[in-house]
This record gives sequence, C-alpha cells and structure tokens, in this order.
Amino acid sequence: MLKKKSKWTLFSTVMALTLLLAGCGGNSGNGSGSQASGSAAASSSPSASASGQASSSAQSAPVTLSAWIMPNSPKPDADLLKVMDPYLKQHPNVTLKVTVLDWGSAWTKITTAATSGEGPDILQLGTTWVPAIASMGGIDKITDKISDVGGAENYLSASWNTTKIEGQEDIYAVPWFVDARAIYYNTEAFKAANVDPAEAFKTWESFEAALQKVNGVTVGGNKVAALGIPGKNDWNVVHNIFPWIWAAGGDVLSADHKSAVFNEGKGIDGVMYYTGLANKGLVDKSSLEKNSSQIESDFGDGKSAVIITGPWLAKNFATPKDAGGMSDKAAAKQFAISPLPAGPAGQSTFIGGSDLTVFKGSKHKDEAWDVIKYLSSEEAQKAYANISGQLPAKKSLIESPDLDSNMKAFAEATKYGKSYPSIPQWGPTETALQKHFANIWDIVAGVKGKYDKDSIQKEMDDAAAEVNSIIQQ
Amino acid sequence: MQSETAAKRKTRGFAYFQKGFRTHRFAYALIVPTLLFMLLVHFLPMAQGIIMSTLKLNQFTLARYLHAPFIGLDNYKSLLFDGSNPVRQGMGFAVRNTVIYTIVVTFLVLAWGLAVAMLMNRPFPGRGIARTAMLLPWVVPSYVVGVLWGFMWQQDGIINYLLVDVLHLMGEKPFWLIGHNTIWAIIIPTIWRGWPFLMIVFLAALQTIPEDIYEAARIDGAHKLRQFVHITLPLLKPVFAVQLLFQFINNVYSYNIVSTMFGNGAGYPGEWGDLLMTALTRQSFGYWAFGSGSAASFLLMVVMLVFVGIWYRMFRSELNAQ
Repeated sequence: MLKKKSKWTLFSTVMALTLLLAGCGGNSGNGSGSQASGSAAASSSPSASASGQASSSAQSAPVTLSAWIMPNSPKPDADLLKVMDPYLKQHPNVTLKVTVLDWGSAWTKITTAATSGEGPDILQLGTTWVPAIASMGGIDKITDKISDVGGAENYLSASWNTTKIEGQEDIYAVPWFVDARAIYYNTEAFKAANVDPAEAFKTWESFEAALQKVNGVTVGGNKVAALGIPGKNDWNVVHNIFPWIWAAGGDVLSADHKSAVFNEGKGIDGVMYYTGLANKGLVDKSSLEKNSSQIESDFGDGKSAVIITGPWLAKNFATPKDAGGMSDKAAAKQFAISPLPAGPAGQSTFIGGSDLTVFKGSKHKDEAWDVIKYLSSEEAQKAYANISGQLPAKKSLIESPDLDSNMKAFAEATKYGKSYPSIPQWGPTETALQKHFANIWDIVAGVKGKYDKDSIQKEMDDAAAEVNSIIQQ
Repeated sequence: MQSETAAKRKTRGFAYFQKGFRTHRFAYALIVPTLLFMLLVHFLPMAQGIIMSTLKLNQFTLARYLHAPFIGLDNYKSLLFDGSNPVRQGMGFAVRNTVIYTIVVTFLVLAWGLAVAMLMNRPFPGRGIARTAMLLPWVVPSYVVGVLWGFMWQQDGIINYLLVDVLHLMGEKPFWLIGHNTIWAIIIPTIWRGWPFLMIVFLAALQTIPEDIYEAARIDGAHKLRQFVHITLPLLKPVFAVQLLFQFINNVYSYNIVSTMFGNGAGYPGEWGDLLMTALTRQSFGYWAFGSGSAASFLLMVVMLVFVGIWYRMFRSELNAQ
C-alpha cells in the first residue's frame, strides 16, 4: 500500500512542478489563445540549420546558438527566425536553434537550467523574473556592454528598471518588448450613448460618468454592460488592480523596498474606485468569474463597452479566425484604444513585457550578445513588434510617428507606465497579492461579507502583512 | 502451505533465499528492470524530498539544491509552530475543504457506482451500449473536465440557465466559482468523472458472484434487500475495501480539476475551493518555500500512512481471505 501512496506523492509532485508559477511572469501578454499554439511548437527546422552551417565554413567557425523564448507570437519559433533572417544571412556561420517554452512550465525549466548550468545561450525572461534569476546567478552581467544596444536612455524607464536588481548598479538584461494596459472601447456603444470618447477617458470622474451613460445601451441587438472586468480566476488579477493604486497616488513598496505600502490610504482609494465600478452595477457581475481571454471574447461579441487589456488584442482583432484571431467578431471593426483615465495623482498603467539575457552557462557568449544586439536594432524591433502584436521596447519606435494608430494609444499610455519593484522576491510577492486580491473580488461579488472600505482595508492589510514577511526574510 | 513456507524461511533463512533465488533465477532477472526503474522514479525522488525538507531551500539557495544549508528539523518546527510560515497561509481552509471534498466524493462515488453497477448487472436490451456510454465521463481527461465545467458553472453559463431559466429551481442566478458554492463546483465534476470507473469495477465484481447463491437465498425466502445485505455486500467487501482506499487517496491528492477550473494554477480558488494539493503547490512553489513545502508534503504523507494503517486494520480479514 505504501507503494500506491508514494506513487501519488510523486505524481502530485510532478504535477506541481509542471504547473508552477506562470502567473508571476509579469508578462501576461500572451492571452491564452496564443499560448495554446505556442506550446505545441518545438524547435526550428533541422534543414534550415543544416543549410546555415554548410555555407559558413569559409569565414568564421560555425556556431550553433540556442535560444529559449516564450510563445510571444502565433508561431513563436518560426516568427523569431523570420525576424532573424537578415542577420542569419549576413552571418552564415551562425545557426539559431529556437526552443519555445510555455509560460506555465518556463519558470521550472529556467530555474533548473540556472541550477545545473545546462541551458540556452539566449534566454527570454518575463520582466519580473530578471532579478530572481540574476540573484540565482543564472544570467550574465552585461553592464559594460549596454552602449551596444543604446543604453538606458533609449528605453522606457519603467522597462529599463526591470533589467537590474533594485538597489544595485549592474545590468542583467535588455528589454525586448513591452506589455502595457490601455482601454479598448466599443465606438458604436459610445455613439449610441452619445458619449464623447475624447472627454470620457480624461479623469476618474468623467470615466465613471461615461460608463454610467454607456451602461445598458443596445448595440447590434445586444444590451451592453459598461465595463468588463475579469475577476479572480485569472493571470492578470494583480496587473489589473495596480494601475488604479498608482493613479490614486499609492505604490507597491516603500522607497527602500523594505515594506509594503499598497494598503495605505491612497492605495485603498484606488482599489475602492476600481472595485466600486463593479459594485455600482457598471460591470456585468458574471464577468467576475471569467478570465482575461473570456473578457476579451465578450468584448469582441459586443457584450461590454469597455475593457482594459494589452496590445495583443488589437493584433488579435486584425487576425482572421482561421489563423486563431477574432477578426470575424462584431467589435473587431468598431473599437478604439485610449490610455487609462487620470486619478488624483495623474495617469498610470502597468508596464511588463520581456527582456533578453545571456545565459550564464553559455559557451558562445559573444555570439549570443551579438544576436541580442541585432534583436535590439530598430529593424528587428519593428519586425518583431509587427509579428507579435506587442509594443517594441525601443523608445525611438514607441515614439515614432509611423506607429500603427492602435499602438499609438498604447505608446501614449506607456509614458505614465510603472513596473513592479525589481526585487528578487517579486514572484512570491505576486503570488500573495494574487490570493488576497482574489478575496477582494469575492467581497465585491457579495459572497464574502459586506463590501465596504473596512472589509477591503482588512484584506489589503492581510496582503501587506504577508508581503512584508516575504520581502523581509 | 502458507505456514509451511514461513516456517522454512525461519529455520533456514539465507539458505532458503539462495535456493529460491536459484530456482527462480529467470523470474528475478525479469523483475530487475522494474525494480531499478521503481528505485529511479519512485524511491529516489521520495528520498530527495525528505532531504529537501531538512534544507533551507528557497530561491536564493535553490542554485545549490541539495547542497543548500542543512537546518535539521527547522522547517518542521516552523511549519507546526510559526504562524507566518508561507506554507501555512490559508492551509486551514484547504484542510477543511479537503475533508469535506474527500468524504462527499468518496461516499457518493462508491454509492452511485455500486447502484448503477447493480442496474447494469441485469440483462436488458442495449446493455452493452449503455455500459459504454456511461464510461464516457471517465475517458475525459481531468484537465478537460476542469476547463469544461469551469465554463458551465459561470454565472451566465449553462448550469444556471438550466437551474433558473428552464427548471425555475432558483430565483436568481448564483455564483458557483466564487464564494461558498465553490465547494460544490469542485465536488460535482469530480463525482461526474469518478463514478463510471467504480461502476465498471463493481460490475466486474458482481459478475463473479455465482447466481446459485442468490437462487438458494430465494428458495429460503430472502427478499431482494436481504439478498443485497447478506450476499452482495459481504462478497463485494474486498473490492469495496480496495476502492475505498483508492478513492480516499485519490481525493485527498486531488489537484487537476481545481487547478484548471480556477485560472490554470494562477488563480486562487478561494476559501471554499482550495484543496490541500493546490494550496501546498501554490504556497511552496509560488512562495519559493521549497524546504517548507517538502516538509509539509512529508507530514502529509505520514498522516496518510496513518489513515492507510487504520484502513488496513479495518479490512485486514477481508484482504487476507483472498
């Protein structure tokens, strides 16, 4: 009987390992749609590698670089190779082998690699993972090389912030692409309710007033709810709440990163405003049980007038159904994007995304850095942003006038964007926040006590206590 | 025979073993690969887990893995006595839910499985098709069960549609995936997926009971209920005992359905949806408290062993009779 039992122990351990921590990646840019397609892909075609190697012998020694990436685009490995094509043509001695990890198992694989020293040459990391992997000694310092990619001034400060460990000078990563949050609104719904979008998204007051007007209007035979909010059963619970805390003047941690401050007065105001929208009937409460991709799909069907999500949805609306997109949906041709409204402390949004790093155990560090340099060039940044639907990391491109009009609103939003503190303990911190913010949604849904400032304050205090015990250990 | 060999073993010890080995050399050779494989995938990880539970293993020491600082029983101490240990957070809810979940699921799956098996045991037209059709839920992978029921339980989903719009059983549509109802949202799909397997096992067992026993009982004037209580149940007891254990272990270690129903491991299933395994996974991997997590897993294993011991005492006679 012991046998049977420990078999189950083992089984659950394996299950546990495989389902680890994907939520703390910071980058939730891959809505579940793209995730499914990505996890099926493996590595680049062997024939392409062979031909690359064959023609190389003349110049420099042939080298095979391996890159681990996440499913950032519909065909993650092929898309990256397509972007790399000009480089690989110029460097026939270089063969790039791309391995796609899905976000769910990436953390386990990367920490295993960091622990054993056996891993790729080039490694993509979610922005919040960089300090953790850096403190584990899994990635190389690149401090003296950053001028190759333009240095700090060429990137958004919120994303440059994710390339180091808070309080230290060294740089470990280069921002690759940026994830941000902005408002998608149904233009027909706003027309039907006679609300001017130019005014609606200015301040919290005008936003709430606009939602009140839009709530319940009929568009295409559908009665729309003003706002779609995924509740607690989602990856983005934490990313959805912090923009409001920041806009209210609150912050995540104190300036010395030694204690939690999100439960202080201003932070609570932000949470009360955001959850208040749901409590005032501006949110279809059934959406509180859904996850981000269901909310996006509901918005596509015209069930809600406003949702807050990342740049990938615009790309998704432009992609035909048979390629995994939603271009057939009603809202695909009647939406527009706007930055989040300004709270008492001004505008804000969540900034995440992914960084590129050189793996510590790599035997071809110079070549790996050369590839990262290429991926940071304007040409490659532009190409990859187009393919993936993410925002480029280079400031010059974000601010470029020929940016896609949908992306311009995101570019505007990133100006006020903030990223989480770049501390090694962010993963556990986010797990704790996720849990307590989930309880807040229970309170909002009316199934866990009375919704008022006291009950929210209490839950936020519990969250702060747990976060403090994590960051002070 | 049994006692004879035992006596032999006692008296001759190693010599007996040697002789046995010589005569069954080929059989032992066949067992060796399995044995090695079991050692590799089964005892080694377990030993590693126990070692991990004595280490200060968190994200900063993970790189050193088994060479992380040895702290003896500190993980256990902190787990049992330190309220701020990450693995303890929310564990009370998880334990309560797991107890309710295990008892309700185990009982209903066994009862329902047996009831349907008895129905299926009598001949009727289309019995083969009916049996196969009933196996369908069991064929659905638990991952898919979690995702599917996750959709069905939504407030604007099909379950509320049936309950409220069609059957008018409730006045307004309740939440199933948040709040108190969550416990039902995880219990019902587990039963839905679990009972067909029990039905098949019980059906197989029922078919081994010779018909003439029932005939004899009928001649003696025993009615259906007495036949069930005095023939069917006692003869099913060994099968029942084994299935009870399987179900118990299965349900205490339940993970997939809850995990996939609530955001694929990302979401917090809530105070009425969290189970031991989902809580343990989240609190140890999510918080990078690998040492404490291993300690908690080991403690859970010890507790489970106690239950298995109790189970064995309860059913010892039935199991040895076979």
